[in-house]
Amino acid sequence: MSKRLLVAAVAALMAVAGCGGGSDDASDGKTLKLWHYEGPDSAMGVAWAEAIKQFEASHPGVKVEFEEKGFEQIQKTAPMVLNSNDAPDLLEYNKGNATAGLLSKQGLLTDMSEEVTKRGWDKKLGPGIDTTAKYDERGVMGSGKWYGIPNYAEYVMVYYNKTMFDQQGLAEPKTLDELTAAMAKFVAAGITPLALGGAEYPAHQLFYQLALTKADRDWVDRFQRYTGDVNFHDNTWVYGAETFAKWLREGYISKDSAGVKAEEMGVSFMQGKAPIMVSGSWWYGRVASQVKDFEWASVPWPGMTAGSSGNLWVVPKGSKNKQLAYDFIEITMSPAIQDKLRDAGGIAVAPSATPPTDPKTKQLNDDFKTISDADRLAFYPDWPAPGFYDAQVSSVQKLITGQAGPHEVLTEMADYYKENTASVGK
Amino acid sequence: MSVVPFSIRDRGSYLWFLIPGALLLLAVILVPFGMNIGISFTEWSGAGEPEWIGLDNYTRLMGDGTFWASFRHNVGLVVAMAVLPTLAGLVIAAALFDFVGKHFGSRHASILRACIYLPQVLPIAVAGIVWSWILAPQDGALNEVLRAVGLDSLAQNWLGDPDLALWSVMGVMLWIQVGYPVVIFMAGMQRVDPSLHEAAELDGASWWGRFYHVTVPQIRPEIFVVLLTCTIAALKVFAPIYVLTRGGPGGSTNVPSYYSFQNFFEKTQVGYGAAIATVLTVLILVLTTVFLRVQNRGDHR
Repeated sequence: MSKRLLVAAVAALMAVAGCGGGSDDASDGKTLKLWHYEGPDSAMGVAWAEAIKQFEASHPGVKVEFEEKGFEQIQKTAPMVLNSNDAPDLLEYNKGNATAGLLSKQGLLTDMSEEVTKRGWDKKLGPGIDTTAKYDERGVMGSGKWYGIPNYAEYVMVYYNKTMFDQQGLAEPKTLDELTAAMAKFVAAGITPLALGGAEYPAHQLFYQLALTKADRDWVDRFQRYTGDVNFHDNTWVYGAETFAKWLREGYISKDSAGVKAEEMGVSFMQGKAPIMVSGSWWYGRVASQVKDFEWASVPWPGMTAGSSGNLWVVPKGSKNKQLAYDFIEITMSPAIQDKLRDAGGIAVAPSATPPTDPKTKQLNDDFKTISDADRLAFYPDWPAPGFYDAQVSSVQKLITGQAGPHEVLTEMADYYKENTASVGK
Repeated sequence: MSVVPFSIRDRGSYLWFLIPGALLLLAVILVPFGMNIGISFTEWSGAGEPEWIGLDNYTRLMGDGTFWASFRHNVGLVVAMAVLPTLAGLVIAAALFDFVGKHFGSRHASILRACIYLPQVLPIAVAGIVWSWILAPQDGALNEVLRAVGLDSLAQNWLGDPDLALWSVMGVMLWIQVGYPVVIFMAGMQRVDPSLHEAAELDGASWWGRFYHVTVPQIRPEIFVVLLTCTIAALKVFAPIYVLTRGGPGGSTNVPSYYSFQNFFEKTQVGYGAAIATVLTVLILVLTTVFLRVQNRGDHR
């Protein structure tokens, strides 16, 4: 009896501790285990659902075992999962040095270079788009081997309320001067013009965006890819920080925005409370579907622009069905799926089969092509160092609340950057 | 109460029943804690091989201003989550038990008790999101109400002002926590022998006198339990900070558990995050031991 009790206890313990040694049912060449974190209504979710259908049709007898994960769930647990026997055959993963780069450096991802050349994916992806797919031996993006394939893109732009602009007699703000003049006019009319969320990414993206006004490719590469010295007190950064502070002083941005989340920012714009929002293409579909009470439009930011490829399809080192994974990526790169993604409000990155019918979708994709062709994609400000996101949110909040001035904020960012990039490549 | 003596054989048979729990404790708490301590002596990004660096993470912790600031914020949260709820819980429980229960019936007291307990039932993510709407600077319910009644000057950027954010979080936590002591104390008050109160009343003791000299000493074990569990909850508080402020603005509401999380998952400095988690665990263990010893001494007196 006692022995039986002991055996039961050990079995229970093994079950709780997850040491049950579950069967590995994904290694039979008949199952493609796939994880991604796009919502079913998003452009990517729509396109990939269709890709799964096409894959199953073109691979009789093969089943796609899809698991919908959360972004944070994959982000926080990827190294552990990829190190285990439970790794999927294919998963969506965040791009950048601190994410896909880190995993590639640790040998957890499959080098897809050969497959990329064989299948011609490198020819399909434009310059700037492929930067996030290649990582060197230090895990730094932009060169080296292919560890992922992106099949959509994103970028930051200026959304504006055309109805409110018309009421003030303002034209489309194509340059920074025109945008500033428009904001001044709104302030004079008692309206805070710019919706901004300081509790999350929008504020430090705007801060970076202002710096990018004076930046070029070399500046971006030095900051993002460590190709040279980074001086946070150069003219570019100082212009960004001081202009941000000036916009606060002039009332273009509310001093209350330090506690505003991205969602509240978007809602404020979509409800017509603020006439301008500077944020990413990830808002585009939602703005298009939810804004009914006024006319709106978007205009690209002049100069370099925060943006990049979307997240990557990566094949874990331990994937049991790599050929199936490559076949699936091939389908997501096909013109039919790229068109599906574009028509659902996303930005396609590979050649399409049919022209877009919706003028807004066309404009979104055309604007992106202009930026991409001009090599103006500057990635995102928090990419170069792990944890830079929280550090930048905190620093820019201090600027908004007056806890720190522009130069103190730049010093704080410089210190963080220096400390946390020191280990890159180790 | 006398203790029934066990023979060695009896004790041996009882030990078998402890094995499942002990094994679970080993697998779920002791082994991960041991591993956490081990990782805290390394530099590790979460993937690949950890590099042994001895006590470097702990040396770094000693000079890390953010870490110490996060502990200072924790003191505020201990006040908001343990001290104030205990005091408020005593007053509310006594009011419900002695006043509402006696004058309006125990049913009304139970309804009020359930209402006060409700925030404890709500998932913290839901409560946090609702409070972030209430406290939103521009269209938040609280500011809208203040403006509607002409108190515009009192409208604040509750979660976005570094001088106010911690106070706002403390307010939300007080709201969440207060139901717990109320329920425990009311249960304790029902346990108190009514004859003690009657005797005190006959001796001319006022309500306050009876509360202070009879009720409070009688429910001392409950007060200890509430203070202990709430203090531990305050020290390891994470979810409300994550949902409400993510440690901001400018780090003004950062707490050790969130700082540890940031190091684990955002900065990929797993070794350093483990060191913070270890220090926090040791602190909680020490505090719990001290609490229990003080309580035991009180019981034996």
